[in-house]
Amino acid sequence: MKVGIPKGLLYCKYHPFLVTFFGELGAEVIVSEDTNKNIFDAGIKYCVDDACLPVKIFHGHVNFLKDKCDLVVIPRIMQLWKNEYICPKFCGLPEMVLNNLNGLPPAITDPIYATSWKNLYSWAQKSGNLLGKNNRQIKVAFNKAIEAQKNHKTGIDDEGYEIKIALTGHPYNIYDKFLNMNLVKKINNLGMGIRTAEFTQEDILAREADNLYKRPFWTFVRENYGFALNSAKEKKVDGIIYVSSFNCGTDSVIIELIKNGLPDFPFLILKIDEHTGEAGINTRIEAFRDMLERRLFNESHISTLG
Amino acid sequence: MKATFPHLGNVYLGVKALFDGLGIDYVIPPQNSDHALNIGTRHSPDEICLPFKIMIGNYMQAVEEGADTVILTGSCGPCRFGEYCELQMNLMKSLGYDLKFIVLDMPKDIGIKELFNRLSIIGSSSKKSRLQKLRAVKTAVQIMHLLDETEALAHYLAGYERNKGQCKSLFHRCRREAMKCSDPQEMLSLIKEYKKRIEYVPVDINKDPVKIAIIGEIYTVIEPYSNFCIEDKLMDYGVSTKRGMTPSWWLKNMALSPLKINSLDIKKASRKYLSLEIGGHARECIGEAILSWKEGFDGAIQIYPLGCMPEIVSKSILPAISRDYDFPIMSLVVDDMTGEAGFITRLEAFIDLLERRRDNVLFGS
Repeated sequence: MKVGIPKGLLYCKYHPFLVTFFGELGAEVIVSEDTNKNIFDAGIKYCVDDACLPVKIFHGHVNFLKDKCDLVVIPRIMQLWKNEYICPKFCGLPEMVLNNLNGLPPAITDPIYATSWKNLYSWAQKSGNLLGKNNRQIKVAFNKAIEAQKNHKTGIDDEGYEIKIALTGHPYNIYDKFLNMNLVKKINNLGMGIRTAEFTQEDILAREADNLYKRPFWTFVRENYGFALNSAKEKKVDGIIYVSSFNCGTDSVIIELIKNGLPDFPFLILKIDEHTGEAGINTRIEAFRDMLERRLFNESHISTLG
Repeated sequence: MKATFPHLGNVYLGVKALFDGLGIDYVIPPQNSDHALNIGTRHSPDEICLPFKIMIGNYMQAVEEGADTVILTGSCGPCRFGEYCELQMNLMKSLGYDLKFIVLDMPKDIGIKELFNRLSIIGSSSKKSRLQKLRAVKTAVQIMHLLDETEALAHYLAGYERNKGQCKSLFHRCRREAMKCSDPQEMLSLIKEYKKRIEYVPVDINKDPVKIAIIGEIYTVIEPYSNFCIEDKLMDYGVSTKRGMTPSWWLKNMALSPLKINSLDIKKASRKYLSLEIGGHARECIGEAILSWKEGFDGAIQIYPLGCMPEIVSKSILPAISRDYDFPIMSLVVDDMTGEAGFITRLEAFIDLLERRRDNVLFGS
């Protein structure tokens, strides 16, 4: 049996789990290619126009897989932490994909509540049963997958640059090189080091978020807000770059919260959609770097934000 | 304390009755207008959804009239509405307004104790006895139910009425008169009377008007300003409309949701297409589309603000329903840049389409 796994959305963070789990169950795992022009165009063609770019690209990945596998995995990630969601579009992702694309093979669409091992295992069990495996085989594969996921570390923490910036945003916007036009490399080439949220401990992130009036109910609010505030307060970085896709509902809130929390800190928002021109992005990053440089080395006592 | 609250359709009448009954000082913001939207848009984040911008406009206009406390409901669903209170508090503060917010969240998110705490802030500024307070709440809920029923009746009978425009003018008069009432009981009997008058509007039962269901995001379907008074326009065209989303439905839904017995019909209808709660009212949108098909409606119009996350999911699903049931559904997106003319053109084209599907182009004249 060929199991297809789309390389979109949170694949960048949780691929060891998915690939190991289905591999250990004896399925032939087929992962879609890295995002490229064809996948990108297919995604835009089939998805509803209001959706954000990462969701459109996910459609492209599923479209790529549809003739190549017997079963496609569409992870419906409901919660990664208790009482926290990712975004309504994640909860309804299978519905979006199944209704927007035609001729799809059967799909695994069971909700994933990764709030505890037990909840996650119930997803694994349902998926394993679809492949016709018994509970013992599923348990073994599940444990190996968890092990692989634990050993997998993502995140960037560059050393040896004179300017360091915090790169925040949803992981799929940061790590998808095609979507963000190789932003990480661009920033590095301009002589700026990057730090991402993975290097800040969960409890520190949570502590920052606890200062909010309302308990955040999106995982990425806690992560991005906590990370941005913490790294600015502890002077770990000189500026913050936020990569956000156009029309992202959660980002419209997170960005405001960060702006409120850090009224006087260099903060660049890069909006990305299917029409984004690379030259515009380059100019903005270069200008941001120039500003940081002046702020740090020439006129550090004057707020460049006015 | 001088309380205010954002507009949502006819909710202001219910809240007015409640505050009148409780004897609390309040300000009703001026009716939503381009001015409210403009000042709201000027100060709101760019990418936030339309209701946020209109609400900011409401607050600023209410403050000009002396309000100092905003009462707002909250939610902890995955939809953006839950974060409104936090952003709005920060925004109003940074604009230099000294405005207190009382956010009424669900008890499961903030704890029943905290909810009672917040409610007691409102209650403590009322000098009435506990019994009188309870009675005021009861009357306000009654008024809300009655208003929604009256409105639904007017929208439905507009397709059948003999004298064109009678339902519409009666209902608008009802709202205007209700606004003048200073006593909740008086308002209640007034709305009762108008309901009766609308019930007795002369109708032509041989007519078979186009029937359209209004579905979508709760704020933009209930608040007439945000959807260019789509229901009034449809009444003018002689179309019968139905809308499941009403403030009283919301109240009932909230009250029953801890027991999980809320909106069972919608849950059942939507199961095939969207089996899980994904936040906002996406599931209700799907369920209502199917229910209105079952009830023999000719089509449905989905309305939502630009970027509304749950409704984007339901927009993906609606074409499948449209295909499976042979049921036309049109999606309309509203935001602060929407032009009314384009909106009307699409609305008229949709009604034409529905008429022609019945093989009678001259229908409705």
